[in-house]
Amino acid sequence: MNRVELQNMAQAETERQNAFRCRLLCCASTPCLSSGSTAVSEAMKQALTDGNLDAEVEVVATGCMGPCSRGPLVTVKMPGQEDVVYEKVTPEVAKEIVAKHVTQSKPVSENVLPADMPFFVKQKKVVLANSGQIDPERLEDYVARGGYAALAHALREMTPEEVCATLTKSGLRGRGGAGYPTGIKWDLVRKSEGDKKYVVANGDEGDPGAYMDRTMMESDPHRLLEGMAIAGYAVGADQGYLYVRGEYPIAAQRLQRAIRAAERRGLLGSRVLESNFNFRIDVRIGAGAFVCGEETALMASIMGRRGQPVPRPPYPSERGLWGKPTLINNVETYGSIAPIILNGPEWFSGIGTEKSKGTKIFALAGNIDTTGLIEVPMGITLREIVYDIANGIPDGYAFKAAQTGGPSGGCIPSQFLDTPVDYESLGALGSIMGSGGLVVMDERSCMADVAKYFIEFCMDESCGKCVPCRVGTVQMHRLLERITDGSATFEDLETLEELCVLVRDTSLCGLGQNAPNPVISTLRYFREEYEAHIKERRCPAGACEMNRIPVQELNTNSRVYSQNGAQAEPAQA
Amino acid sequence: MTMPEPVTLTIDGREVTVPAGTLVVDAAAALNIEIPVFCSHPKLDPVACCRMCLVEIEGPRGPMLQTACSVPVANGMVVRTDTDQVKATQEANLAFLLLNHPLDCPICDKGGECPLQDQTMRFGPGISQLVEPKRRKKKHYLISDTIVLDQERCVICWRCIRYLQEWEDKPQLALFERGGETIIDVQDGKPVDAKTGGNIIDICPVGALTNRVARFAFRPWEIERTPSICNHCSIGCNLRLDTRTHTLRRVVGRENMQVNDQWICDKGRFANAWVSSEDRLTMPLLRKGEQLVPVSWQEALQYVADRLRSIKRQHGPDAVGGIGSAKLSNESNYLLQRFMRQIVGTNNIDHRDGGDVAALPTGLPALADIMKPQYGPNPQVDTVLLFGIDPSEELPILDLHLKRAVRRGGVKLVIAHPRKVELTRYGGPYLGYRPGSEATLLNGLVKAALAAGGKDNAKQPAPKVTDEDLAQICGVDPADVKAAAELIAGSERTLILYGPMAARGAHGPAIRDGLGNLALVTGNAQRLAYAGLDANSQGCRDMGILPDRLPGHAALDDQEAKQRLHRLWGGDLPDAPGKTYSQMLDASGDDIKALFIMGANPATERSAWAENLGKLDLLVVQELFLTETAAQADVVLPALSWAEADGTFTNLERRVQRAPRALRDPDTKAAPDWMILDHLANRLGVNWPYADERGITNEIAQAIPFYAGLTWSALGDQGIQWDASAVPQQPDYRPVAQPARPGERRAFALVTGTALYDGGGMFYRTEQMRNMAYNGIALLNPDDAAALAVSDGATLTVRNDRGELALTARLNDTVQPGTVWIPESGNPPVGDLLDGSGAEAVDIARQETAQETVQEAVSQGE
Repeated sequence: MNRVELQNMAQAETERQNAFRCRLLCCASTPCLSSGSTAVSEAMKQALTDGNLDAEVEVVATGCMGPCSRGPLVTVKMPGQEDVVYEKVTPEVAKEIVAKHVTQSKPVSENVLPADMPFFVKQKKVVLANSGQIDPERLEDYVARGGYAALAHALREMTPEEVCATLTKSGLRGRGGAGYPTGIKWDLVRKSEGDKKYVVANGDEGDPGAYMDRTMMESDPHRLLEGMAIAGYAVGADQGYLYVRGEYPIAAQRLQRAIRAAERRGLLGSRVLESNFNFRIDVRIGAGAFVCGEETALMASIMGRRGQPVPRPPYPSERGLWGKPTLINNVETYGSIAPIILNGPEWFSGIGTEKSKGTKIFALAGNIDTTGLIEVPMGITLREIVYDIANGIPDGYAFKAAQTGGPSGGCIPSQFLDTPVDYESLGALGSIMGSGGLVVMDERSCMADVAKYFIEFCMDESCGKCVPCRVGTVQMHRLLERITDGSATFEDLETLEELCVLVRDTSLCGLGQNAPNPVISTLRYFREEYEAHIKERRCPAGACEMNRIPVQELNTNSRVYSQNGAQAEPAQA
Repeated sequence: MTMPEPVTLTIDGREVTVPAGTLVVDAAAALNIEIPVFCSHPKLDPVACCRMCLVEIEGPRGPMLQTACSVPVANGMVVRTDTDQVKATQEANLAFLLLNHPLDCPICDKGGECPLQDQTMRFGPGISQLVEPKRRKKKHYLISDTIVLDQERCVICWRCIRYLQEWEDKPQLALFERGGETIIDVQDGKPVDAKTGGNIIDICPVGALTNRVARFAFRPWEIERTPSICNHCSIGCNLRLDTRTHTLRRVVGRENMQVNDQWICDKGRFANAWVSSEDRLTMPLLRKGEQLVPVSWQEALQYVADRLRSIKRQHGPDAVGGIGSAKLSNESNYLLQRFMRQIVGTNNIDHRDGGDVAALPTGLPALADIMKPQYGPNPQVDTVLLFGIDPSEELPILDLHLKRAVRRGGVKLVIAHPRKVELTRYGGPYLGYRPGSEATLLNGLVKAALAAGGKDNAKQPAPKVTDEDLAQICGVDPADVKAAAELIAGSERTLILYGPMAARGAHGPAIRDGLGNLALVTGNAQRLAYAGLDANSQGCRDMGILPDRLPGHAALDDQEAKQRLHRLWGGDLPDAPGKTYSQMLDASGDDIKALFIMGANPATERSAWAENLGKLDLLVVQELFLTETAAQADVVLPALSWAEADGTFTNLERRVQRAPRALRDPDTKAAPDWMILDHLANRLGVNWPYADERGITNEIAQAIPFYAGLTWSALGDQGIQWDASAVPQQPDYRPVAQPARPGERRAFALVTGTALYDGGGMFYRTEQMRNMAYNGIALLNPDDAAALAVSDGATLTVRNDRGELALTARLNDTVQPGTVWIPESGNPPVGDLLDGSGAEAVDIARQETAQETVQEAVSQGE
């Protein structure tokens, strides 16, 4: 396929879609599928067949529309009219939509989400522009919305240097969490000597509650492939690997189909778009290790080895897969590439703050009214996200803290609700942007308990390679268990703080280095809560069961524990 | 290749200049600053997992903790190893490790030489705040017949895993589970069978891996450590003998970067129980009637002297023969040949694989040449041709060096061997020739090398050999021959190595000449080497334990050498060449009336020889054990082993190394070889001037020009290589005749050769290793076995015109179809099937066992 054929395909698809009187977009992303969207689309199709509307109305299985807690979601698209989004659609409601909205143009008002809802209005969709709008399994649908035009443009009009320079100028930073400038990373790989180079997409999203990458891979797989292909062109690679978390079977399946479709049309494979550029992509599926999201462990896993990190340097840009220069970016980073190429770096850097450009996807979870997936411009405040987009905290409870960055991140207490969300500001508060998990907690959450949860996660997920992470996380977990069950002493708190510093400073990879972050940050803002657990044997939030007693000190230097660690009789005071 | 610029950095305020690429931990060592490590090891790639070596390195954002074991030095780098932060991390890491490490040091073999213990004392916190129940894991279980693993003691430093991966290229240990549950274990329940696997015991920084043979037999602070060398094969690995109360307790590797790096093979490490065995001879034995009875040294020696004198008088000196041993020192062998030549007056002196073998005098150029490709900077070898030699079974440390050279140095291997030996897994041309067809194959290689351009000497007419010959006579693909020849012809420096399997028998000279031709036309004449397999194979040749060579490889009519020996010994030397080892044994009871055998056991090699020994008028055997040969002797003289006597050995690259006396049983009457021979000479009327072994070493230095100066003090504990140019050997081109279609018309071509775990006398006394022995077996290709309806473990009858053996079948796909591999081991002797042609063939049939007969009867009954 060449550029003209690509344009023809876009034209034909647009015409095909416009021929329908109405198109019913039914979300087929994991959250909606699990709340029953398959039955909904079946019911709609049946209703259309029954009403003899098959020829003029199309039902499309799309990707995610955003407010996932309100699923299954259905969008009704009619030419010349505003899109109407329905929430909580059951098969019955679906029949009603066909009967009333489609045939009589009368929306079923009970289930309609208002178009001016802050959830929609405050977002800016760049990476998710197609999500919920196109059928992820239809290449033509993506092409009709400008898909692969950026690749065609880059291959024809730009040198690899120019691609890297454009990204550097756009200010795009890595969306996996660390925020390394993408253009500079690409240029490093481009300049690395190597007879073979690789491009890797990190889709091993592991933070609890985060599903940005999954959604992107499920809803708009071709955007990712296009981003990777542009990367391959820019750095001089002809092979890409897409590392997909093992728990994401739908994403892996859709990506594999998308790769096949793109290869069939000459958009991937040999002589991409009839240029001299060859690029293949293979999907690699993870086996359930959080640490494989760390780039060196991920590469080990791709190479078929045990997923364990290795010290850097050398960085993957020098020596990556099979010792060759390798570019690794997060899935969301690749999703941002095509719009930057098409709209220019200035357009992208016009969004966001001075040092954090563009938009960021967040997965909202926790004690808020509307959970789901949002894409917002950098610099939006936490308050806007929590109170406007997510519609606040239900049942009148007060906001306590927002947790960003998953197990590697930290907590942001209420006094910082007006902080802009960008790399620098979150870092200054002791948290991180991370890959985009955002968990909101209200006053019923105990911060020591939250810290324990995250440390337990890191303990379970530690690969066991380096000593501080392998042993230190277990110790931290034991100490936090003592604090939350009432058997801790102040010495334990001291030891915990020492361990935090040691594990952070001496671990081999990011998993261990960042594992203490939730403890450090909750201690920073909620120290009195920890102290209440120890001094008063009381959980201020009422979340912990304080059913153990501390073992009394026999002398100042040493304490005695029973063999099972906790349950010992108190010594006579 | 130029050396990179040196780098200057500062560690703890002191400047040091080291080569670029040095790791910080090694740069600190150069300043005598100890940075504690567990996972880091100078011979293994950095993994940086123990975090013990974290030091502060000045960076753009202030001092950063970085692992000294993985960060290479840079100019102007500022490192601090003594700050509070560094100390705190060291204490924390030790506390973390000790948290789950069982404190069973009092019953742990490592206790006393344990890096974890030592570093805890030196860098540890003294008291731990972390008082928790320890994690329970699997304790003391076998991961091979010789290695015991205790997972609770393991600190997961990966050294064992990395050794097996990086050196052995056999990833037989791996990590399982993750996080705090992580353990090290064998893969798929299969034992560690790498031939140098025991090295992981030496490098384990805790007592997780222990030596099953030496288990609980020593405490490190009680043993006496003697630097020595290995007595098993001709590599001459440097090792250390640990003794206590006059017994050998343990053997560990010792570094010699010219020989074995710091690795030794499992045979060298474990197969040493024989030294302090109960079976050792402690008294001279004299045959009285049917019985060998203990007698005094006076009686035994007088008997030998009297009988030798009368046989010599009656039948002449050439009716007496002497057999030395390549397992014994230069001193023992030198004295034996002096005894035979000077006192008996005969050149009937040889050792196994001595005069019967078409050898070359100077051995390998240098083992270090093979190690160099990985250590750089000037690779001396880029291609290695192994012809009829299997380092994996015969010279395991050479195998280790070759693997490393291939994987790290890009060295290419060409392998010609009737068996698809282990090293063929590195690709490269493999020529699986039929035994007996070597000359044709070599002619084919020479022809193809000439066609590929050859080197300066390539003006020879090409041998007349056709592709059909190669295919039909040798059974190899002519395309492989072409590829091999082109690789060798195109390389800068090819090392050509062959061993006794190729050099023995009637084909030996043709193979030696054919290889010489190949070396000549490809410009590798200086790199053609014969490798004997025993610890002192090279030394025996140097010492003149050969029927046609005086000490120093001098011909029997070399006047200069004769005068030199005359000055040292006085008297005249016999002129006529003597009989070789096999000739003496064939002629025993016939021309040969008396044999003096020192450290050899020919009775186990061929039944015919065992029979011949019985016909001798006098058989004297100087031995450590009452071997099959000694049992037939008239006199048995008890000797001391290499560990109990002093002496030098010359390895396959001409390195003379000293093995000092490490122990001696105070109760034994056994004596060192030199002393026995000295007393015997005395009783035959000659006074030798030796006070101890050192005197003999000094005499050797005078008797052999190229041993001049090789005194004990000069040899030190790393040895000295004698100069190969002292024995010029520029081969000339010698056309090699093609043999007629080789071999007898029988179903299977017979391949013999050495197996590492041979089940011999030095092996089977280590009880723990008996299961590993290659004893009494015949290895068949699985397809052939299927055609014969033979399963693994079945009993086979292997026969040809000369003999018949009952052997146990083992299926092994390294054995080529149509061949059978019968490793040399005592029982039953494969020698019974050999005729010396090197092209023997056999028929194989399955023996029906009683059980099978019963089963058949039952099934017929149904």
